[in-house]
Amino acid sequence: MTPAYATFGEVAAERRIASAPLSHVSIELGHLYMEDFQAGPDRLREQFRQVAPWAETMRRSWQSRVPGGRARVSTCFLIDDYFSRFSTPAELVPMVLEAAAECDLTIDYLARESACAEADGVMLARLVEDRLVTDPPAGSDGSRPPVTETGWLCNGTRSPYSGAVQAMGSARRWEPPAQNAKRRHSIFVDVELWDTDSRGRTWSCPFLAAVWQLLRLGLIRNEGELPVRPKPRGASFPSEWDDLPAIVQLNPAAAPFSAYSTLSVLSSRFLPVELAVRTILSQVFVDAQVLGQVADRSGGEGIRLPDELVDRISYVFLGA
Amino acid sequence: MLVMGEVRTGLLQNSGEIPESLCQSVLGLLSGERVRVSRRPIVYAVSPDQLTGVDCRLASASQARVRGVGTVLSRASVTGGRVLQGSSHIQVVRSESDHRLSWSHYLARPGVVEVFGKIRVPDLSEGFAESARNDCLDLGSVSERFMDAVQASPFLDRKAPFRSARTRLRWVAESGPTGSGGAESGPTGSGGAESGPTGSGGAESGRAGGGARTPEGTGIRFTLGRDQVRTLRLVLPGGFSPGIVDFCEDLALHDWLLTTLLVIVEKARVGTASRAEVTAKLAPAVDHLLHLWMPAARLDDAFAPFWETLERRPGFSRQWHSLVERVRDQVAINTLALLRETGGW
Repeated sequence: MTPAYATFGEVAAERRIASAPLSHVSIELGHLYMEDFQAGPDRLREQFRQVAPWAETMRRSWQSRVPGGRARVSTCFLIDDYFSRFSTPAELVPMVLEAAAECDLTIDYLARESACAEADGVMLARLVEDRLVTDPPAGSDGSRPPVTETGWLCNGTRSPYSGAVQAMGSARRWEPPAQNAKRRHSIFVDVELWDTDSRGRTWSCPFLAAVWQLLRLGLIRNEGELPVRPKPRGASFPSEWDDLPAIVQLNPAAAPFSAYSTLSVLSSRFLPVELAVRTILSQVFVDAQVLGQVADRSGGEGIRLPDELVDRISYVFLGA
Repeated sequence: MLVMGEVRTGLLQNSGEIPESLCQSVLGLLSGERVRVSRRPIVYAVSPDQLTGVDCRLASASQARVRGVGTVLSRASVTGGRVLQGSSHIQVVRSESDHRLSWSHYLARPGVVEVFGKIRVPDLSEGFAESARNDCLDLGSVSERFMDAVQASPFLDRKAPFRSARTRLRWVAESGPTGSGGAESGPTGSGGAESGPTGSGGAESGRAGGGARTPEGTGIRFTLGRDQVRTLRLVLPGGFSPGIVDFCEDLALHDWLLTTLLVIVEKARVGTASRAEVTAKLAPAVDHLLHLWMPAARLDDAFAPFWETLERRPGFSRQWHSLVERVRDQVAINTLALLRETGGW
């Protein structure tokens, strides 16, 4: 609980924040793009074979931390239906499940990437974009609005615009960008959040991945409510992606979808994407009351979570 | 504890007061977040909290270079559907690091600004309250921007019924000598109301406000500065509580009401202009302001003694009620005059 909101005695004046059921860890077993699908089921099986020991290690690690070994571990799998549409749920999902089962992996939840942009009528990506508080360069004293480039987010100060010509007509010398929290040398990161074309706005892969991490950490609320709740699977899978719920619960006995922490096991080609994700997440302001709920719950179990949400996210990057 | 803030107060740019139902649209500065509305004893609506990142100098009386990094917590509110406030504040704490950390560290501490090196509270509080430097932390501009965002709402007609100025209240709250930083005791917790700020009449007003502290370490000093600038210095036992911000906003609201009513009465030229003219000039006050006076309406009881002190000196309510009576008398006299003219009396 943050005292900042607890200032009223009237019911209409009080904030009510739903709490999310939480596991100890949410393990992402994979992220399927069209190119992976086109490479055939063997590629998928190979991925799962590589992922399995890491998932098991994480499960054991939590079992050893929790009294009685009763660790709540849920697994999830993300399918891209946002940047390209391929196959159908009816055809693809059973194939994924079969490949996972061959490697002794259970996929508890299946999510669609487009759900990170909009799910059940809630514009999740917009909600997160509205909660960006930009990392201020030195000299930001509040007198002017933060300097932003529409649709981009960086971790420092950009190079001055190189096309500018100074008054005397000489071209301006290049100046380096700078990271705000640099330790002597900078690692400057500038992330494209979205672009637009005739069809409107398209969110970037890192931005949707940042939303995905926030969903898995149970930290997004819309008007105090959980924006997405997993729906149980039907007898069969639909033939259209839009007919598949945003998050499907495949395993009825699964631990909750959201968790105190997350692990993503990924191919190392996703390393730049995840750097971008962390650059975004470092600038997302999560509701203090929601953070307080999670801290209270984990504290009640004797688990101390890191204050900074990027520290709740772990990765394993696998070679090609 | 060292908390600093600045509240800007002004008239909502709309011809009439806005209904409660419109507050959600006007103050909904953050998608997916409801505006909170309190209905008793006066309709008060407040926007979701907003954060702004800063990394800059903090003003210091000794001109020392003090760098702070963190986030400013701001909100906008509308009282009685009529008065708009933008309010921002920070808690100043010492950084445990000697260099700037990753931004996620600061975002995990909303409304906290971390200062590198030792914090000299009197130096920073004096510096902030009196600062005229323009390269230091500027909470007023942050508050102003959120006000502007509200005024730009398409739901407002931007036809204010009368002209009025925005007032600025810059405030600093610090722990008294006995303040242990614990949050259990309110401002009067240690000594009770008897020995609290009311005990020694700690309020001072006027350009050279002197201020006073009780032995228990609570005190309040309100200074009316030039233009529309006011400063408020508070000394409290205990640590930060959101009630401090509420109190400062409440004081700023009532100071604005008083300031604005004074200007309206002055411009009415009572005794010089014709009765009809005077009444016409006073009408907006009757329509839009007189019912809004409700000091300490939603405040934590712990802050009531501060209001009581201010009621004694400078006597906010005394001045307000005297002005209100004057306005009503003028309207009554004019009514009588009109009745006599029409032969109805």
